[in-house]
Amino acid sequence: MAKRTALGLYKDAHAAAAAVENLKQGRFTDQDIDILSGTPYPEGAFGEHHIGHKLFVFPFIGAACGFSVGLLLTAGTQLSYPMVTGGKPILSVPPMAIIMYEGTMLGAILFTILGILFESRLPRVRKSVYDARITEGYVGIRVACDAQRFDAALNALKQAGADDVKFDTQPGAATA
Amino acid sequence: MQERVQISDEQINRELLSGVLHTPLWFWGLVLLLGAVAGVGVIAAGFLVYFGVGVLGLNRPVFWGFLITNFVFWVGISHAGVMISAILRLTQAEWRRPVTRAAEVLTIFALSTAALFPLIHTGRPWRALYWVFPYDFSRGIWPNVRSPLIWDPSAIFTYLTGTILFVFIALVPDLGMVRDRTTGWRHKLYSVLSLGWEGNPRQWRLQAVAGILLSALILPVFVSVHSIVSWDFGMAVAVETWHATVFAPYFVIGAVHSGVSAVVTMMALLLWIFKLKNYIRPDHFDALGRLLVVVATAWLYFYVLDFFFGMYALEPQEIANRTLIMFQWPMSFMFVLFALASYFIPIPLWLSRKNRRNITLMFWSSILVNIGMWMERFQIIVPGLMRKEPFTFTWGGYAPTVVELAMVTGSFALVGLGLLIFSKFFPLIPAWEQKEGQLLQDEVQVGRAKVPGLVHE
Amino acid sequence: MHETAATKASALSLLEEQQGITRDLLGRLAHAGPRFWLVVTVLGILFIVGIVGVVLRLQGGLADRAKWGYYAATFAFLLTAFQGAPIVSLATRMVKGHWRRPLARASELFAVVGVLSSVLFLIMLNIIPPVQGRRTLWFEWPVGAPYLFDSLAVIFLAVCGLGLLYTAALPDIAAARDRVPGGRKGLWTALALDWQGTPEQWRLQKVALGVLGGFYLMFFVFTHLLVSVDYVMALVPGWKDNIFPAFHALVGLQSGVAITLVALGLLRWVGGYKKYIDMEQFWGLSKLLLALSLLWFYFQWSAFITFWYGKQPGEQSVLTFLMFGPYAGLYLTAFLCGFLLPFLLLIWNVVRRSTVGPFLAGCIVLVGAFADRLRLYVAAFSVEDIKLHALETVPATHLPDSADLMIMIGMVAGAILMYLLATRIVPPVSVWEVKEMLHYRVVRMFMKTRVVVLAKPE
Repeated sequence: MAKRTALGLYKDAHAAAAAVENLKQGRFTDQDIDILSGTPYPEGAFGEHHIGHKLFVFPFIGAACGFSVGLLLTAGTQLSYPMVTGGKPILSVPPMAIIMYEGTMLGAILFTILGILFESRLPRVRKSVYDARITEGYVGIRVACDAQRFDAALNALKQAGADDVKFDTQPGAATA
Repeated sequence: MQERVQISDEQINRELLSGVLHTPLWFWGLVLLLGAVAGVGVIAAGFLVYFGVGVLGLNRPVFWGFLITNFVFWVGISHAGVMISAILRLTQAEWRRPVTRAAEVLTIFALSTAALFPLIHTGRPWRALYWVFPYDFSRGIWPNVRSPLIWDPSAIFTYLTGTILFVFIALVPDLGMVRDRTTGWRHKLYSVLSLGWEGNPRQWRLQAVAGILLSALILPVFVSVHSIVSWDFGMAVAVETWHATVFAPYFVIGAVHSGVSAVVTMMALLLWIFKLKNYIRPDHFDALGRLLVVVATAWLYFYVLDFFFGMYALEPQEIANRTLIMFQWPMSFMFVLFALASYFIPIPLWLSRKNRRNITLMFWSSILVNIGMWMERFQIIVPGLMRKEPFTFTWGGYAPTVVELAMVTGSFALVGLGLLIFSKFFPLIPAWEQKEGQLLQDEVQVGRAKVPGLVHE
Repeated sequence: MHETAATKASALSLLEEQQGITRDLLGRLAHAGPRFWLVVTVLGILFIVGIVGVVLRLQGGLADRAKWGYYAATFAFLLTAFQGAPIVSLATRMVKGHWRRPLARASELFAVVGVLSSVLFLIMLNIIPPVQGRRTLWFEWPVGAPYLFDSLAVIFLAVCGLGLLYTAALPDIAAARDRVPGGRKGLWTALALDWQGTPEQWRLQKVALGVLGGFYLMFFVFTHLLVSVDYVMALVPGWKDNIFPAFHALVGLQSGVAITLVALGLLRWVGGYKKYIDMEQFWGLSKLLLALSLLWFYFQWSAFITFWYGKQPGEQSVLTFLMFGPYAGLYLTAFLCGFLLPFLLLIWNVVRRSTVGPFLAGCIVLVGAFADRLRLYVAAFSVEDIKLHALETVPATHLPDSADLMIMIGMVAGAILMYLLATRIVPPVSVWEVKEMLHYRVVRMFMKTRVVVLAKPE
């Protein structure tokens, strides 16, 4: 079934919350509704569900990778050129620990960045209905639904007092 | 914060983007000026590479002088970003909001500039590459990982990469905002850079978590970077005054002191140059001033530990070094200047609330601190080398040449230039954080008084 | 956000809530259960055993320094953990977090142990030889060093701590004077100094707390510097370590947080203060404890890497002596309990946001702090010739005898005893601070979600 998208723009955040309420009463699910804002609101302010994420897995994987790279680098270079410097053993653990620590942290940070992008679903390649006024302070309530329910969605948005309503002109297309 | 403003999102966008979207004439003038000074520094570096290290004032026994002092100084300044951004984010201090991005960007440019100096001061920087890259460039000689000079690149690289990525991730919402307000090539550029940011709850939630997680990850890196730089000196056994266990925390706290002072300087400049009085208020300088008093006193404690316990064993090099620093001209003059500039003038001034809220005073006193801290680094490095041997016939002196002075001056211009050019492409004050701060403002009625409060989830 | 009928109604219940808190917390002052007195009796007996141990030790005289190592370590542990606790209250007060309110008094009360530690210190004062003819902090300063200055520092720290506790508890002492019947009314009246709760008195109290707090922190660091250098570093030949005084003080801060966590846990589960001491208090302190545990490692590592790298014989001996040789077991315990285990526990958000996790971490850190003090003081005191240039032979492990065990157990029991007896005079949860929080903490609806609004008066 072809999906259509509508975007309601609200100057007043309470009206936007009312729109979400209307949509939920109209049996639209959390997956259908998206709330776009130029400012982060406290979680649940619009009655949306809690966002789960697995971001905390990424730093651990990154740390493990970084640790291994650090170990290979330090142990490898020391074994490849086994020269005693300053009376220290060929495999000197304290200096290795320092470089491995930096490697671990670098790995953790790099993978965390990747994780943030992944969990945020960025970069977003598919275009969707959006309006530049959202970063000016308007709250956008976007709903994606089947064509038959589209009118109901539009009504729900308008009833809450939308300052403007935009939608895609054809199923699947987006308007800027 | 007592001075609370409520500005519309549109006004915030407009005011904070004015630097990006409009270019007044003075901007080009400043870019030319800073570019010229930085250019002179680059020419001086070219001079050094062409004619060799003889053009520097270095000679036995002082092999590290102005250039390495400058390196340590800029690494120190780079600690401002994480201090302000990460620690204040983790402790949920609201007053950090306008300051974070500018401090982090200062970190990036300060660190990049700092990293140039150990390479340049070798005189043949291409030879130094083999330190940095673990690749068999010349016949099976690999970097000596046991040396602190190799720990340095790993730390600086990690910190630089981490900070750049941290700045970028926190910049994404504002890039979306800039994309929405621009047209033409700018719109295309920011559309790509903003990665399609929309501002849905998932993206905002990840921003919040990212801020905290990255802050927690970058904080240990921040501590390690300047510790590792300090171990360039601390590991040395030949220079007795450098062989101190306290160097790591001493350098780190000194870095925080000079870094946060640099942020004060920068915030005052931002306020005056970009006319951001709605965002940078006396409250911020008050808070920064209070933080600085605590940090500076901790720094003084570590300085006293280093200075005093250096003397503890009454080794001849230590006695000679302290005698030189405190009683012999011109070092003694520098010592008095350093003591006054880095602590004994600014901190008593900053104890008064009225002074902390005086932005001009904060500007000049923070510059004074950094003059003092530059001298502090110099006094650790050069006198130590001048008196490193117990044999007086090996004692030497040091005077910087115009080449070194040009490079040091050029480095300041380079950092300024970097910040200016950054401000042309990206807003230096995070617009979305300002908007969030406003949203979370609330107040509580206590009797007849309305006490400002903050919304917590 | 403005006053409506609803908020007027809740304003009345605010008063009732405050009265309820006062009644509850002060009511506990009036009577202590039989369990409390049983614990006090047991601790009292152990304390007497400890005093006997000190007497036994004194009978041997101060000449054989090695025998006093465990005694010194016990004193150092009291100075470190017990006297480090008030810093938790004053540092968090500087940052103005509301979560600190229920735990403030619990940490301030540890200042009473300063009396015991001062007495213990004065007994062993002359155990170190005068500064002439050896390398010390004092550079052979002829007058007062080190005995006068060290004792002044220790005593002043104790006095400052008591002053801090008294100033912070004054409103509650006055409330006890007004509301708690019984024999101690005279004591409270005398202590309350005619406190009425006028705005001027509150303002003066705030200023006094700020000044005393600043002094306490500075004196704590300073006292640790003097004691650690005179009684540890100066006794080990060839040991020149500028970070050591800072490390010694840091363990004090870390174990101060730890002991506050332990006190909070016991107050919550055994003392019946569950209503006041919540996850938020443990969460706030656990973040501090994690940071301080990381700093523990950082300071130790700075010292270690500097000594390790240079491979100088004098410094290698110090490393062997204090870390990897006769006291390796204690050092390993200190390392595990001071850094590794708390770190592995507290990096998890789930653990930090609980009550059991931070409490456990606190207990572990205290074990580590004691092990650390033992290895430092027992080792330093066991060196025979302290005037050598460097440590040529590493002395063997000095094991405790029965008197040492009596002292260690008895004095720690005595410290806990003093704390418990102090809670009979001053409530362990700060009544005025908890009541004050009711003004500043409001739960509201923010559109469709419930949020907490925390107000911060400037």
